Amino acid sequence: MSVVKQDSAGSRIANPLITVSQFAPWFVVIVFLSLLPVIFTSGAALTIMNQMAITIIFALAYNMLLGQGGMLSFGHAVYMGLGGFFCVHLMNMIEYDGLWLPLPLLPFFGGLFGLVFALIIGTFSTRRAGTVFAMISLGVGELIAASSIIVVVFFGGEEGISGDRTMGPETFGLDFASQLEVYYLTAFWLVISALAMYLFSRTPVGRMANAVRDNEERAEFLGYSQRNVRFISFCASGFFAGIAGGIFAINFEILTEENLNLATSGSILLITFLGGVGFFVGPIIGAIVFTFLQTVLSLYTEIWQLYLGTLFLLTVMFFPFGLTGLIAMHMRPYQLGKISLLVKPYLRMAIPGIVCVLSFSSLLEIAFHAKHAAIGEEHMSLFGFGFNSYNILLWLVVLVLSIGSGWLCKRLAVGVREAWDEANFVEPRS
Amino acid sequence: MSEIAIELQGLRKNFGFAEIIRGVDLSIEKGERHAIIGPNGAGKSTLFNLITGKFHVSGGTIKMHGDPVENLKPFEINRRGLSRSFQITNIFPKMTVFENIRCGLLWTMGYKYSFWTLVNRQAGLSERTDEILEQINMSDRRNELAGVLTYAEQRALEIGITIAGGADIIMLDEPTAGMSHSETENIVELIRGVTEDKTLVMVEHDMGVVFNLADRISVLVYGQIIASDTPENVRADVNVQEAYLGTAIDAEH
Repeated sequence: MSVVKQDSAGSRIANPLITVSQFAPWFVVIVFLSLLPVIFTSGAALTIMNQMAITIIFALAYNMLLGQGGMLSFGHAVYMGLGGFFCVHLMNMIEYDGLWLPLPLLPFFGGLFGLVFALIIGTFSTRRAGTVFAMISLGVGELIAASSIIVVVFFGGEEGISGDRTMGPETFGLDFASQLEVYYLTAFWLVISALAMYLFSRTPVGRMANAVRDNEERAEFLGYSQRNVRFISFCASGFFAGIAGGIFAINFEILTEENLNLATSGSILLITFLGGVGFFVGPIIGAIVFTFLQTVLSLYTEIWQLYLGTLFLLTVMFFPFGLTGLIAMHMRPYQLGKISLLVKPYLRMAIPGIVCVLSFSSLLEIAFHAKHAAIGEEHMSLFGFGFNSYNILLWLVVLVLSIGSGWLCKRLAVGVREAWDEANFVEPRS
Repeated sequence: MSEIAIELQGLRKNFGFAEIIRGVDLSIEKGERHAIIGPNGAGKSTLFNLITGKFHVSGGTIKMHGDPVENLKPFEINRRGLSRSFQITNIFPKMTVFENIRCGLLWTMGYKYSFWTLVNRQAGLSERTDEILEQINMSDRRNELAGVLTYAEQRALEIGITIAGGADIIMLDEPTAGMSHSETENIVELIRGVTEDKTLVMVEHDMGVVFNLADRISVLVYGQIIASDTPENVRADVNVQEAYLGTAIDAEH
């Protein structure tokens, strides 16, 4: 008992704003982000990294609802999109009306616009969580996406609206014409937003957001209105989504209906879930993996969405805590010093696993080619091999390979499970 | 003692055509430990839910410290100094024990909807949380997830959350339900300790607990109070014996 008291007393005295151990990961991130463009110098890499940063902010903002507040939104693209549209208008005002606004501040105004809109929608959508909230978010999402075609003045109709980021007053001698300058601006906002969202989760209202998510009735009997708690989380989430929209506007200089629609709202749900809703870093990992796969896969195959969808399905079915949950699961064997027990079964599983993934995707690719290639176009290449996609023997080989390796995976899974139990086993204390 | 903490007058509640509470008059004095007993389906939990704002009343008045509170929201009633526990354990299972208690403190310690203070930096808050953990004997479980505690520990934690905010009226809904004999003894001592100088209203089935703890007992049968008196008088009351207790009391004592 006395030990516990001392502990808490100790932590009471040493409570600086942020401790060294808390700051260390942020410092590493800042250094890492500054060095990234030195390692990856190509324009394409910069574009992907910017895309990742935008998605990370958006996904973190989304997780303030889903993970922290227990609100499942099907229309969160609206807040990012509106923030983005507003920023493009601001850019045009800078260009044509002589508005004085340095570009680096633009995302903040995107955030404010997202916030204003969240304030309006939140007044009625956060009354209840669960299905009611989900349905309202879906309705509002569709409403805004539909009006983007109708309200041409603001949304620019089908071709959207575009602007030019370089027209503002120079900041520190930068006009943001180059990708690299935009990258550093994006990275700056990424760190600021992520830090702010992290700190938000450590405030009283951030903690009560968790409480309301877990047990809204109990929270009400502790003096908190569940609706107000949700409302505040919702507004904060709208604000950061708007910031993401502002950075999007700076990067791509164009916003269209696509930034508001259901597909975008759906993919951010997918990304957040893929990364793991229960962890602060979950959406970050989800955004990185998703953007990377999206970019790389879409270079090589037309059916990349099928693969991402499959990955998402598998995650939901087998690792409901997402990729981050998968990593976090291994902390326990690691702490017990038994992580080495898992190496062998994992390696054994890896070979049929890889064969299974490759052969199954080959099967899909061949089928897709046979079905969709131009008539007479029977030759295709896969993994560096060229062949005829109508070759029955080839079909058979790939089919046998994928079924065989799948079967082997299933058999080996038993061993993995046994090793897993073994690695997590704690000697009962006598 | 003359100040009234809770006063019910002609309180009614019906769900559709089913009348559950049929005109309850009851006044509970400040600082009193009051138990509400009655057979299953008598409306004890409904009465609780009416007082704490979970249900809307169909008729009659509820006064807390002289002010009408009927049909206020649960959080508004809580802010006026009434806190409750639940029949089914109602905690935040995915949070640590420490955080559970801290949630109970945030509002009354004035943090409200603040998003500019960091909870970990609030020395007074952590200190008070640890004091309450000490009070409910759970300091050694401080950093466990509430969801992995044993049932009895969760019940104790729930009492901790309930009293954390410093409410002066504490309402406990069957605090010993489903507990073993020794666990019950512990929780009774805990309740006795934490409700010192406070008004306690409890629903309870265990007659041992009721007669051990309560200053006054009200007997609720079919939505009406048929007796409200000291334990001795309630035990002696012929109506009560006929309607409900009879053998139960004799068997226990």
